[in-house]
Amino acid sequence: MIAYCYKKIVLLAGAIILSLGAYAQHTFKLDTPGVVASDESFRIVFTANGECSDFNPPDLSDFDVLAGPSTSTMSSTQIINGKRTETFQISYTYILQPKKTGKYTIGSATVEIAGRRYSSSPATIEVIKGEGSAASSSNQQIAGVSSEDIFMRMSVSKNRVVKGESLVVSLKIYTRVPIAGFENVKFPSFNGFWSQEIETPSNIEFVRETVNGKIYNAALLRRYMLLPQQTGTLTIDPSEMICQVQVRSQSSAPRSVFDDFFDNYQTVRKRVIAPAVQVTVNPLPSGAPASFSGGVGNFSLDARLTRDTIDANEAVSLIVSIKGSGNINLIEPPKLIFPPDFEVYDTKITDKSSKGGGGASGSKEFEYPLIPRGSGTFKLPPVEFSFYDINKKQYVSLSTGELKLRVGAGKDSQSGYASLPAGVSKQAVRSLGTDVRFIKTDSPGLNKSGKFLVSSPFFYIILGLILFLYLLIGRYISKKIERNRNVAFVKNRRANKVARARLKTAEALLRQNQYAPYYEELHRAILGYCSDKLNLLPSELTRENIAESLRSKAVKEELVNELLSMIEACEYARYAPDQGGGAMENNYEKAIKLISELEGQR
Amino acid sequence: MKRFLTLLLSALIVTGVFGEPGQKELWIKANNSYLQALYQEALDDYLMIEEMGYTSSKLCYNIGNTYFKLNNIPRSILYYERALKIDPSDADILNNLSLAKEYTLDRIEEVPDFIVKTWFRNLNYSISSDGWSYIAIFMAALTALLLLSFRFSSLSRTRKISFFAALVALLISAGSFGFAWTQRINSQKMNTAIVMRPVSTVRSSPDNSGNTLFILHEGTKLEILEKIGDWARIELSDGRQGWLSLPDIEII
Repeated sequence: MIAYCYKKIVLLAGAIILSLGAYAQHTFKLDTPGVVASDESFRIVFTANGECSDFNPPDLSDFDVLAGPSTSTMSSTQIINGKRTETFQISYTYILQPKKTGKYTIGSATVEIAGRRYSSSPATIEVIKGEGSAASSSNQQIAGVSSEDIFMRMSVSKNRVVKGESLVVSLKIYTRVPIAGFENVKFPSFNGFWSQEIETPSNIEFVRETVNGKIYNAALLRRYMLLPQQTGTLTIDPSEMICQVQVRSQSSAPRSVFDDFFDNYQTVRKRVIAPAVQVTVNPLPSGAPASFSGGVGNFSLDARLTRDTIDANEAVSLIVSIKGSGNINLIEPPKLIFPPDFEVYDTKITDKSSKGGGGASGSKEFEYPLIPRGSGTFKLPPVEFSFYDINKKQYVSLSTGELKLRVGAGKDSQSGYASLPAGVSKQAVRSLGTDVRFIKTDSPGLNKSGKFLVSSPFFYIILGLILFLYLLIGRYISKKIERNRNVAFVKNRRANKVARARLKTAEALLRQNQYAPYYEELHRAILGYCSDKLNLLPSELTRENIAESLRSKAVKEELVNELLSMIEACEYARYAPDQGGGAMENNYEKAIKLISELEGQR
Repeated sequence: MKRFLTLLLSALIVTGVFGEPGQKELWIKANNSYLQALYQEALDDYLMIEEMGYTSSKLCYNIGNTYFKLNNIPRSILYYERALKIDPSDADILNNLSLAKEYTLDRIEEVPDFIVKTWFRNLNYSISSDGWSYIAIFMAALTALLLLSFRFSSLSRTRKISFFAALVALLISAGSFGFAWTQRINSQKMNTAIVMRPVSTVRSSPDNSGNTLFILHEGTKLEILEKIGDWARIELSDGRQGWLSLPDIEII
């Protein structure tokens, strides 16, 4: 049973290997050390991925070939979580020794894999002068480890940047002695910078490099991208760590037989410090546009609406994307002013930037979710974004065109928003901003300050004048009334006087009680008065004439009638006997009153 | 009588609205500058009118607005208060003053006035002091006429009506006079001020060695109780008192 299963697996694996082999990516490459000493032998390895034939080596006449090509094959099959990977490698190894110092290029080798020819890329090998023997130097017993044997170096890509321009800092360790491990690693702190690790190798790979003519094993520890946030000369603090360096012990004790077999290594702790690096950060030039928010680099701007025709109360998004290289991860969403009737929700930011050796590049998307509450055609104002172009050394302003959004009336509340009560769509008038009310532009009503009519002499003069006029007019009126009263009195008295003078003879006759002559005299006196007053001749003195002229002088009708009856009574009494009983007396009084009144009429 | 009337009329015109043509032109120019948002120029023109010795609630209101636009909140409050002093019932001034006060730091509880007092004040300031003066003069003249009618009318009914009408006119005249006089007294009161320094220290005695009692910020209104030298004893509307150096404040 088990054997059967095993057979099956082997069959399966074989089938997979065969099928995968046809599709596998074939590569052919050359591995060389970059730097070698002139007295050192080294290996170069051509590695082919896949079953190959017809290996055609390059020209190696610059070197002495000590051995090779020796061929080795390696195949492996992995099945992890059902995913199978299969590798098949053939490597051709040469062991070479340089003839002299200098730079040499190993040309490309060719190989045929699965019917196709592949060639390796050429590699350069630098041969430097060997310092005696590297092996013998390690054999010499070194008690301590000098700072030339192991050191750390911090390198910046640029020493002079403007604020916001990205730079890359690499922290590398160089060593010529074997290292067992690290302790108390203190990475630098970047004060005044926004920093991000862009490379943190999980296993440290040593590469040979020459520094000052010596070969070191160099390894990258960290790589950071920095964005200066302050101006001036900024210092990147030194970083330090303690390396456990293995040195061969130098014991004075007699060496035992075993000591010769087993090297007696001792671990020495060595503090390694990478010196501080200074970076000069220049401020951005003045004259930044209003929409500038710190972007430095080279960007392009694009804005679009997810839909350009929607119904009211539906959601739509405005997507603003900024692409380019620079401090893209520090770019803030552009400030947009939407029509007041729009509900705007929190901006969603998607950062699709990648950090490489030259700073970050990629794109950043800002999504503004909107819900228009009213219908109509809205023009969204252009999105503006400005940045400082490092290459052109000037500010660049980008602007998108106006975006049009057509908002339909929305569905009826009955169909689309049946759950909402009818009054919900009504809203109070919102205050969107406060400001002082506008100035008054009508006539200013200026007054001399501190001047008041009520405290001016003018006011009191007028009041006094009013009082004075009141008294004056009052006095005048009362005097006039008084005088009028006097005039009436005098007039009355004079009229009475005239009447009495006229009737003087009649009065005497009345006293003597002479009946007929009395009435004759009374008749004559009244007619005489009338002829005098009315300017009538005695011949014209008829009753009709008298009445007519009296009426023409607007004398009261009753007075006229009374006068006429009086004249009639006198004429009648002249020829009639005395009736007695004070009739004479009465007629006399009546006549006086009549004449007085007629006189008063004038 | 006719000559007197012309005299009165010309006196009214002289003391009346437009004196010189210069300030009227300045006023229009300043309003136009404000309209074009040239606030500094508008302010200069308004202040020139003020320097000529003229004032009005509208002038102070516009100056206050201009200072507000120039972000000088304490000065805008000062001028709004000055405008209110001339016309305390204007809704625009009250609105803008309360808006400007939003920008001040100190929050002091103000005791609201008794409602009858507010009514009375609103009635008083519905007409300017000079307006009340003219009413007082007119009513005094009417009283005199009615008294004459009362004295010399022959009809007893006319006499009766004239008497009561004269009484009413006299009361109105006296009341108008009182209003005009109250407005004058109120406007000549120099007992309120606005803090001008961003931070000023109120001390317990009128010298710099006095204990610090509290700190006032610009734009706060206060009442001046007395002055000694360069110091003023002030009271806040919540009743706290202290001494403040005079250059820190500006009297309304």
